[in-house]
Amino acid sequence: MIAPLLQVRGLTVDYATPAGATRAVDGVSFDLGAGEVMGLAGESGSGKSTLAFAIARLHRPPAYITSGCVTLAGTDVLALTPKDLRRWRWREVSVVLQSAMNALNPVLRVSDQFRDMFRAHGITNRAEVAERSADLLRLVGISPDRLRDHPHQFSGGMRQRLVIAMALALKPKLVIMDEPTTALDVVVQREILEQVADLRRRLGFSVLFITHDLALMSQFCDRVGVMLQGRLVDLTTPAAIAPKDGKGGADHPYTRHLWDSIPPLHPATPVRARPDLVMP
Amino acid sequence: MTAPVLETEKLSMVFPNGNKALDAMDLTLHPGRALALVGESGSGKSTCAKLLTHMLRPTSGRILFQGSDVTGLSRRRELLEYRRVVQMVFQDPFAALNPAHTVAHHLARPLALHRPDLDRAGRGTEVRALLTQVELDADSLLHRFPHELSGGQRQRVNLARALAVNPSVIIADEPTSMLDVSIRLSVLDTLQRLKAERGIALLYITHDIATARYVAEETAVLFRGRVVESGPTAAVIDGPRHPYTRLLLSAVPDADRPFDTGGSLISRADAVRRLSEGPGNLVYVGPGHKARTVDERVAA
Repeated sequence: MIAPLLQVRGLTVDYATPAGATRAVDGVSFDLGAGEVMGLAGESGSGKSTLAFAIARLHRPPAYITSGCVTLAGTDVLALTPKDLRRWRWREVSVVLQSAMNALNPVLRVSDQFRDMFRAHGITNRAEVAERSADLLRLVGISPDRLRDHPHQFSGGMRQRLVIAMALALKPKLVIMDEPTTALDVVVQREILEQVADLRRRLGFSVLFITHDLALMSQFCDRVGVMLQGRLVDLTTPAAIAPKDGKGGADHPYTRHLWDSIPPLHPATPVRARPDLVMP
Repeated sequence: MTAPVLETEKLSMVFPNGNKALDAMDLTLHPGRALALVGESGSGKSTCAKLLTHMLRPTSGRILFQGSDVTGLSRRRELLEYRRVVQMVFQDPFAALNPAHTVAHHLARPLALHRPDLDRAGRGTEVRALLTQVELDADSLLHRFPHELSGGQRQRVNLARALAVNPSVIIADEPTSMLDVSIRLSVLDTLQRLKAERGIALLYITHDIATARYVAEETAVLFRGRVVESGPTAAVIDGPRHPYTRLLLSAVPDADRPFDTGGSLISRADAVRRLSEGPGNLVYVGPGHKARTVDERVAA
């Protein structure tokens, strides 16, 4: 077996609070292969976003990595200097966040935002920037003439596609997506994720996909991880957590609980909500 | 069936920029029952909520409350009374509560405005009763601030605030879409129970058709301002007749259908949207079940 693209070992992240350190990520270890899509599920406060931010070194005080190591394509991520980090991000790893409106500058045309991004990474030739920007828009199915428009002229789904296009600009090996479609409706969500799945097949990047929707994750990911109170409590395949004809399902009780909280479209028996989860 | 409490007749809204947000919508809400209004972003769901709560004035059509026309209400007193009986629960449980006030304040204030019969002590008792109704523990939460509550707790406080003035209609605009999947169903359960117990007519606005079954007896699917299909929820979900309803159902995350199998949905989505925009009339396709006719040639 070839070496995995991303290796995370014993990663621990604490938040410094006036009352002392609060552990948000607690000794998480996993591997992510080249071209693989791995999901991270969990409820609010489970540490899934903190983990993703720490892997991209985007965490800021009061969050501190207190132990562990992260290796991406042979690079010791936690040892990168600020100068190295600026080069490393976007070329090696890029991040797509939930709210596309907050990720785009509302007062700049899309073309200017692409230009700024290319310029920050040393690509300044105007013709080249224009050509690559147009290519990126075509990649996500948006007409290149819309480069002249401002973010508010796009629908929510198109804005998220612009952000995805921008994230792919420097052909990163890993794209971290933190709830990229939570603010969108189901049809648009499906359209965007099908497009990401297709781009991944063509371009070969890996995806770390964060969501709280286990069913969506099972459709989209090769492997799924479940986080609870900062720990990765389950790491398995979609097939292993989806019950077949009412039988089977996840071994881990918490994964099973998350699964059961998804309303099925065509329930076999009338389903009632379960009481709120009591943390094990 | 009991007489409808809130009805719309050919309700339409065209914004000054020419955007037709709502096109001749007919809806009927009954006491103790829920109607799910399902549609994608921009389908007109929220415009409908704003018209029904008199935050916007429709460009044509009528709104009837208990049989009388309330479309043109303009007197302050009438508006106040209408806004008491038609309450709203918003999508964002964080934005809908004032961060500087406690839970007790959020519930006592509507009581002070709309329940002059209650004195200070009476309001205190009522606030506790309201919290119990939405399954929150009054003792521990009464003096907390919104930031000290979870999203689900906040949404329950919003619900209690709506109930405080004893409404006939609650319009819930995506009440659970910002909550964790794991607590959505229990919040919907509370909504469902309260509507039955208190005989409230509920308009449940959502983009997630899968949750409609848990709350609503009836479902209407909205696309670009027009109802394309409506009827008993089970009939709409289990036997969808309009291509847009089918598209919506096929986009619901389903672990049994990984992305790589069963073909792409994108390739069809735009064709279905074009088809659904075409002319067509709502016709009966089953008991109480209507779907808009489509011209298949448009899709070709």
